[in-house]
Amino acid sequence: MAAVGLKCPECGSLDIVDDEHYSQPQLVCADCGAVVSEGLLTTTRSEELQGTDVRYSNSTEVNKQPCRNQIKGIHRVRALCRILRLSFVMEETAENYFKQAYEHPSFIRVSLQKKEVLAGCCILATCRQHSWPITMGTMTCLLEANPKLMGVVYQEMVKALKIEAPPTSVIDLLETHCQAYKLSPQHVHEELSESSKDLTKRAAVLLELAADAWLVTGRQPVPILTASIYLAWQSLKPTQTRLKYTLARFCQMAKVAKSSIAPKRVTELKEVLCKLGQELPWLRGSEMTPQTVVQMVDDILNYRLTLLRKALKSHEAALASESELPPSLEDTQPGPRDDAPSLDATASQPDAESAQQPQQDVDLTCTVVMGGLSRAGSGQVSTPSKRSLFEPPSVTHAKIRRVQLPVKEVTGDEEISDSEIDSYIRTPQEMRDYAEAKEALSSSEEEF
Amino acid sequence: MDEGSALERYFDEPIETTQADSGFLFEGDLGLQGTPQLQNSSFLSTLSQPEKDIGEDLDLSFLPDDLPEESRGNAANVTQDSGLFDADRSEDFETDSNNAMPGTSTFCPMTPMTPLAPVAESSGIIPILQNIVSTVNLACPLDLKSIALQARNAEYNPKRFAAVIMRIREPRTTALIFSSGKMVCTGAKSEDQSRLAARKYARVVQKLGFPAKFLDFKIQNMVGSCDVCFPIRLEGLVLTHQQFSSYEPELFPGLIYRMVKPRIVLLIFVSGKVVLTGAKERGEIYEAFENIYPILKGFRKQ
Repeated sequence: MAAVGLKCPECGSLDIVDDEHYSQPQLVCADCGAVVSEGLLTTTRSEELQGTDVRYSNSTEVNKQPCRNQIKGIHRVRALCRILRLSFVMEETAENYFKQAYEHPSFIRVSLQKKEVLAGCCILATCRQHSWPITMGTMTCLLEANPKLMGVVYQEMVKALKIEAPPTSVIDLLETHCQAYKLSPQHVHEELSESSKDLTKRAAVLLELAADAWLVTGRQPVPILTASIYLAWQSLKPTQTRLKYTLARFCQMAKVAKSSIAPKRVTELKEVLCKLGQELPWLRGSEMTPQTVVQMVDDILNYRLTLLRKALKSHEAALASESELPPSLEDTQPGPRDDAPSLDATASQPDAESAQQPQQDVDLTCTVVMGGLSRAGSGQVSTPSKRSLFEPPSVTHAKIRRVQLPVKEVTGDEEISDSEIDSYIRTPQEMRDYAEAKEALSSSEEEF
Repeated sequence: MDEGSALERYFDEPIETTQADSGFLFEGDLGLQGTPQLQNSSFLSTLSQPEKDIGEDLDLSFLPDDLPEESRGNAANVTQDSGLFDADRSEDFETDSNNAMPGTSTFCPMTPMTPLAPVAESSGIIPILQNIVSTVNLACPLDLKSIALQARNAEYNPKRFAAVIMRIREPRTTALIFSSGKMVCTGAKSEDQSRLAARKYARVVQKLGFPAKFLDFKIQNMVGSCDVCFPIRLEGLVLTHQQFSSYEPELFPGLIYRMVKPRIVLLIFVSGKVVLTGAKERGEIYEAFENIYPILKGFRKQ
């Protein structure tokens, strides 16, 4: 029985049957034989439900229409763009990249998984070109893909399409990252809440400091963002309640993913702040520890240029004295303290200074330190003190390499002694033992 | 003399305009034209200065006729680290370089080819070779099972990999020996060590009863490393040298710099350590490092 309600136009009977005439589907009246309707002898490509023997890319079709996976991929690109609320221009660019990449010889035959990731990579490249801050990690999460695969496909795509996508700087990522933290008064207790704007501002200054102190280069961006936001939150209102919150608890409260690397970044950032905070004149000789530094962060950030200069000077003096007389650093301590009266005069204009770029200052004074080092006599310090005040942690905690054997000078055409070669060949007895052991092993494996 | 005046004309014009005039072929984006000045300002100034001085002071009329091509080839070499490539020029350059330095010792770092101009401001740091990969053809089919049975230093797991893995103690190397008779030798610290190690492996295979020969020994890859001893701002380097660098801190902590001439890949880390790989000859590693050092140094002072 065919579709209910069909009537034969010739005889009016309702008995219409599905029949096939040489594989052409027809609807035929069972009583009079009239053909009610005919199907098509051939199907269009989009109607074919089963696969063909010949791959579409190998077929002889002249104007190749986009294959099903490409259409799906373009839809995926569009959907992701809508989720990320990208502009229309960016959506178009991403689609273009995807079309170009899909038809590129290095991508036409890869696995479906890679093609899915390719959609995300095109969007990532577009975002970077339009300075839209997004991390690769976010894109990986959206696609639910393997991060390594994402990296591989992204680099291949950039190479194949020859596009230039400058990586986003960490500071640009800060604002979007900050908005993920739920710290408004409606989410948390009033004492623990903080507005996103204040938090971003303070965290940006901390992040700049971290970048200058070599804590950002070469590292994952998200942990350092988390660390700077955490310290910003603590230092904006350094009450006991806030100080008692560990990083893990803070992430839980703000409903943000935990990370195992962020605590290390917090420690490193606190060390940098300690080094600067040590130079505060109103400390009056007491030690600045990572525990006490958080309360002083406000002051440190306001006067950070002056503190940086002072820290570099005292570091230079420490290096000079270290190379002249073996460790007696107490002499250098009074130095910065003497500067205290003069500092009060300069400290009255901190805001004007802090408005300047700290970047040039750091590099200028670094060369002063290097100059000081060369004056003091390079390479004669017995204890390996830092060459400059701030160094990348990979330099400070250098890996202890195993002792390299001295490279033997050989010509490559020397005589090879027989005894040496014989030492690499088994004796007959050994061979028999080995064969027996292997048999015993393989038979015991068969048992299991 | 026509060649002499051409030479002086060449030195009078700044390098950038001669680039535009001669219409070098690009390898890379068209956006390259603007940036070479930025990238190479420090490098070009140091290297072109001595040539300019010499052009003014010395009377070059006695020099052989092919010198202008050589100098132009050399200047092309100077600008080529920014990725410009001219097929014709490089051919001239190579034939002249073969004439100019016939017996380069393997231990001498490659210097630019003008015999008159000394290398200006060499870095003083020589990369150390860490690994050499070479291949050789033993030219006889091998029974891997019998090799694994008879040799002490061999491992063979056909389900995992279709080759015998053999190691010798001196020079400390590893070899992959395939049943077709081809062999890959890795782990040596110099070309001669690699050759000696490959010969030892061939001798072991010979002693095991196969008629092994030693054909087509070729070095396929050399890896070197060194330390410039100052920290490097990778984020800045990737912005100025976008066409060659790839820096993804989420994927890998180092910056991957693909130098075009010589064709070497450099891994540059924030601590100042540099790894150079992809070379077929020792000189390529030295040349690549000499090319990158001014970029890194000029970058550090900015």
